[in-house]
Amino acid sequence: MSYIDLKSPPKREDRLKACIAHGGTICEMAGAKGKKSCLHDDGERSFTQGSICLILPALAMLNTLPDNVVLLHSAIGCGGCTHSQNSNVRFGGTVRWGRPKDGIWLSTAMDETDVITGGEEKLEKAIIEADRRYRPFSITVVAGCVPGIIGDDIDGVVQRVQPQVTAKLLPVHCEGFKTKIWATAYDAVYHGIGRTLLREGEQAPTEDGLAPFKGLERLPRTVNLMNVSSMGRVDEVELERLLTTLGLDVNVFPVFAHPENMVKATQAALSVSTCPTHDDYFLGYLEERFGVPSLIRHMPIGIENTGLWLRDVAARFGDEEKAERIIEHEERELREALAVFRPLFEGKRVFISAGEFRALATARLLEELGFTVTGIRSFHHDEFAEVEYRKLANSSKEDYVVDIANVQPFEEANLLKRLKPDLFLGHANGNGTAAKLGIPTHVIYNTGLAYIGYRGVYEVARRLYRQLKNPIYNRKLGENLRLPYSDAWYTADPFSHIDQRGGRAA
Amino acid sequence: MSDNFIERPRYVCALGGAAATISALPGGIPILHSASGCAGNFAWAQNGGSGLQVGAYCGTLSIPSSNVQEREVVFGGDARLREQVESTIKVMDGQIFAVLSGCVTEVIGDDIKTVVADFRSQDVPIIGAETGGFKGNSYRGYDLALQALFRDFVERGAAKVKNSVNLWGVAPSADPFWRGNLEGARRLLEALGLTVNSFFTPEDTIENIRTAGSASLNIVVSHVYGVEAARLFEEIHGTPFLSLSLPVGASASEAFLRSVGKALKVSRQKVNTVINREKQAYFRFIEPLTDCLNDLDLQRYAVVVGDANYATALTKFLADDLGWLPELAVCTDPLDDEEKDRLTSQLNVLESRYKTTLVFETDGSRALEHLQRKWPAANGQKYHNAFGPAFVIGSSLERELAQTIGAPHLSVSFPVANRAVLDRGYTGFRGGLRLTEDILSAVVAGR
Repeated sequence: MSYIDLKSPPKREDRLKACIAHGGTICEMAGAKGKKSCLHDDGERSFTQGSICLILPALAMLNTLPDNVVLLHSAIGCGGCTHSQNSNVRFGGTVRWGRPKDGIWLSTAMDETDVITGGEEKLEKAIIEADRRYRPFSITVVAGCVPGIIGDDIDGVVQRVQPQVTAKLLPVHCEGFKTKIWATAYDAVYHGIGRTLLREGEQAPTEDGLAPFKGLERLPRTVNLMNVSSMGRVDEVELERLLTTLGLDVNVFPVFAHPENMVKATQAALSVSTCPTHDDYFLGYLEERFGVPSLIRHMPIGIENTGLWLRDVAARFGDEEKAERIIEHEERELREALAVFRPLFEGKRVFISAGEFRALATARLLEELGFTVTGIRSFHHDEFAEVEYRKLANSSKEDYVVDIANVQPFEEANLLKRLKPDLFLGHANGNGTAAKLGIPTHVIYNTGLAYIGYRGVYEVARRLYRQLKNPIYNRKLGENLRLPYSDAWYTADPFSHIDQRGGRAA
Repeated sequence: MSDNFIERPRYVCALGGAAATISALPGGIPILHSASGCAGNFAWAQNGGSGLQVGAYCGTLSIPSSNVQEREVVFGGDARLREQVESTIKVMDGQIFAVLSGCVTEVIGDDIKTVVADFRSQDVPIIGAETGGFKGNSYRGYDLALQALFRDFVERGAAKVKNSVNLWGVAPSADPFWRGNLEGARRLLEALGLTVNSFFTPEDTIENIRTAGSASLNIVVSHVYGVEAARLFEEIHGTPFLSLSLPVGASASEAFLRSVGKALKVSRQKVNTVINREKQAYFRFIEPLTDCLNDLDLQRYAVVVGDANYATALTKFLADDLGWLPELAVCTDPLDDEEKDRLTSQLNVLESRYKTTLVFETDGSRALEHLQRKWPAANGQKYHNAFGPAFVIGSSLERELAQTIGAPHLSVSFPVANRAVLDRGYTGFRGGLRLTEDILSAVVAGR
């Protein structure tokens, strides 16, 4: 039985042995050969700060789906994050279809009575009412912590109600307490898509590999370009540009894809990921059930990595020579354009913080621009990233710190006070610590901005040039604000709250 | 209104409201005893809804959180909480700590009270509140956090000080204009010669909060938010309270000053002097608007969509200060019948005698249906008394409604995704000028 046959996907600490608590160095991380995934058993912190759970990345994807209603089955606050993600939905709609449209999300707003009596009946009625009121193509039923803990069977409810409604119902399991690796969200959403929208089309294996969705043709020059909302339209356009130059057609999947057309993903000749943290689960499913092979290494962020990514794709179509010509041309143009920025960047020390692959690929990009990496914080660690750590260990003159932490800004504050970098790049809602220490900052991921491909390198450089040309705003923040940490904390070992013995006592 | 779901809830949960409240106190450090994602969810909600304000001294992803997992669900989370509090007071530099429970730890029955009591007995300035998300929304969490503060932190037995008042009723970050609104109300009270403790403004200190029991009156600028806490305060510390409308604009501010003056027996002469001074200044600013207001025919029909504070306060402002026609007010909070009655009575008799319709509807997109019930769309007839020219004042989610009826729009109530808000507030006479500026600016934006 494969994972897709289960009600919900396994958590990544089980499936990939992913970990979130480790203080190490780039050389150590690069030398982790032979060990599966985390270098050690995952640690536990005796002090922790809040972070996100899988419901946030899951909603970031689901809210973009046109003609879909997100129905959260949880307490009233879960999904509040959508207020921020909605701007991506609006902006994404505008750049794709010419007009902004708010996402539609609903909450069953489970109250004390529901906790005691169970929420299945309420969910059942909510699905029926949502179907009648909004008439969507699909309703994604997203379970948060409360149904998980009181034992509501959302799959059972969906099965019972499906015959009574027009919308396709997709259960998506996002019980936050069940996994500490929020990247499990991608698996949860893909799992719902796979089990609900693509299931009926699964074919029996044939000798020449599996067929696409029932009744559909294989499209020999179409590639699936996977985007789980880590790229904005501007980045999709850049990758489409490169792939089109290779003579390929591009099917962006799954954000902003109409659920009715998602079957197209089964027709592609190849699926291309831009980030192993995102897509391995679903690519395995597409390969196993529909015979769509996949590429899942190298993130096309930075000059070298974009080239590696493009070469891999080209090789699958026998277009290696064409790819070399494109890469040579692109790199020459880009390096010339970057020359004006380099003197300001040369030798400046940078600390990078983000999801593991994003952080590592961006670190390479920054090295290419002339920066020196002085530290990295990755939100989690799994085996896919080992090759990336090796790239960085090879390119760096000195060893530097790597903090595996699902955010945990207290460790970062301690590290930044010691390292005093000239620049910090962090995830959304993750730049405040560095900014209040007076360090110039820039967001490492924002779907309105360009990061990917050759265009991304240039635009990142342009933005960093702006930031470094006048960093006085953060400097004044640093002079006038203080972080909420005790003086004693800054003299302590930054990793002193990590217990590496493999989990706290129950 | 649906019994089965809430559309695009315009708030987070009790835990989120409580965390924002504690974060807004001077040196306030929330300690969430919850699953790992709660703090992040609140951070993103603020990012998208609070007028570009996220966090505070200790907010967003800096907030300590026990991040309970399946293991705690099985074995209980008390030990993990104890460990977390122990390490929090070492790592964090705070003046007040507050343990706030979330859904998971409340369902599994963790005993946060005992943990908090143990640390308090060691002189740690720490309080605790049970704020599981299923207890209610942000505003409920605001009230629960205040209750914990009044119960466990504000010193008991203080002698009452004449003309000293506490002020609350505006929930931090749930009202994107909370800072400006508190300051505006505070200035009104100070104009009466009162000493004001407003808990959350830069002028407030943790010491004044500790001695808040000495206030001779508590003023809650809400008919819903913080009212329970005011009852508890009265019970514990013997201070009576006044629950008043959020004083948005000149007419509401005048009524506010008269109510407070009466309750505190401030001389009628003093109250009149303050009001006259403020009104004179107000009308000197208003005076030069007269020509354009008339020449451009800036009177509008209006739809107001907002929380329990704004739905009534903005409607009153439009009707009684601007002389507009707020035909429909939609309150998007889930409220009980008594709370609904309290709000309804606020709009029953307006100074302008304007009759408006107040509906309680948690699903914002249904405002259009409520409007069309009162103002049917044109049916091809030659003469049609349309709902127009119109204006929509609500949250940024009302942009779609405004577009549908072809009206300009201003975001005031959460979520406010499309404005930057720092110290701007709409309370007081000056607040009325700000609001007039913002509303009319939206009307003449294309001029």
